[in-house]
Amino acid sequence: MDQIYIPKNRVGFDIGNYVVIKILKDEYIEEPAEKLCFYGINKLEPIKLHIIHEVFRVVDKYTDNLENVIITGSFLEKGFSFNDIDIIIVIENNVKSERISEDIGDKIGVNGHVMILSGKGLIEGLNTDPLYQMMLSRCVAKKRFFYKTRQTINYKLLDLHLLKSKTLIDNFYLLSGKEKYNFVRNMISIYLFLEKKKVTVDSVNKEIKKTFGVDVLEIKNNVLNKKSFLKKYKFVYNMVFDSILKGIEHGSK
Amino acid sequence: MVQNRNKLIELFIGNISNAIVHEILEKAVGKELLADKYRKELASSFEIASRYREKINPVNRPLPDKDVVYIKGRIIARVRAELLIRISKGYENINLGLIESLTDKALSDSMVG
Repeated sequence: MDQIYIPKNRVGFDIGNYVVIKILKDEYIEEPAEKLCFYGINKLEPIKLHIIHEVFRVVDKYTDNLENVIITGSFLEKGFSFNDIDIIIVIENNVKSERISEDIGDKIGVNGHVMILSGKGLIEGLNTDPLYQMMLSRCVAKKRFFYKTRQTINYKLLDLHLLKSKTLIDNFYLLSGKEKYNFVRNMISIYLFLEKKKVTVDSVNKEIKKTFGVDVLEIKNNVLNKKSFLKKYKFVYNMVFDSILKGIEHGSK
Repeated sequence: MVQNRNKLIELFIGNISNAIVHEILEKAVGKELLADKYRKELASSFEIASRYREKINPVNRPLPDKDVVYIKGRIIARVRAELLIRISKGYENINLGLIESLTDKALSDSMVG
């Protein structure tokens, strides 16, 4: 009699049970799945891995000469509180993103938010936009990538991006916790970018905690103290805005 | 939180103004602006203004002329002031001539006037 060791607490198997060991027929053995490339992620729920493979299969169906497919955004955060899947398709050709989104919605039942970018466009984004940097700091890609980037500060673009975060100042009570977090994250990523610091999901969240003295979850759960939070928020906003205006001023001379 | 009509109108004005400033700056930046779908999750000022509009009576028809004149005047002044800050720092290509037409469009789209 041979012995088999399995982890403790396996439902249905008690110590000393007799079992049959049988070769699994070929047809039951799944083909090894395509290897995924993880960036800034240690672990992902199996169901999400399955969804990612499905997304890649759908994208493959609609594209030729694909450079890469990158999954990013809240889908990769722990748990299932995501609204959609952010999918970046890196390709030189024109692709109809609507059809891919629809197909992903039909097959997986989750909204696919598809963004088509050329390799050059993606590098440009990484060079000039802190949010691109942050998004790619945590992602899953179909192919391994290495983008050589050189941070370029375009003050007018940053001004435009920062303006969106102004919304939080006047609309504190109207906004949900998630909306507040998105505005704070946008502003802090611009601040770190201007300081020439690394912009990643973790670095932004750490900076939020350091600056506002609150955990990211408190913002997301919408349990902030309006007075003290807004005081700090306005201070940071004005500081970043002034720094951008100075940049515009110097750039124009 | 319950807000009175005047307060709601002020909040509406603030958000519509922000949306128009954004639109004019977008045009000034021009081709340098990349696909910005990453910021899709940020509620737009126009969308937020619409949430306030839904609370301002009359909801389903344009506001009285007196309100429209006041709102339009305040939006134009606020947008102009925001853009002038940038122009004074040397920001080029900002088209102040767009303010009035974009304000009219925003007011019409949000069923104010």
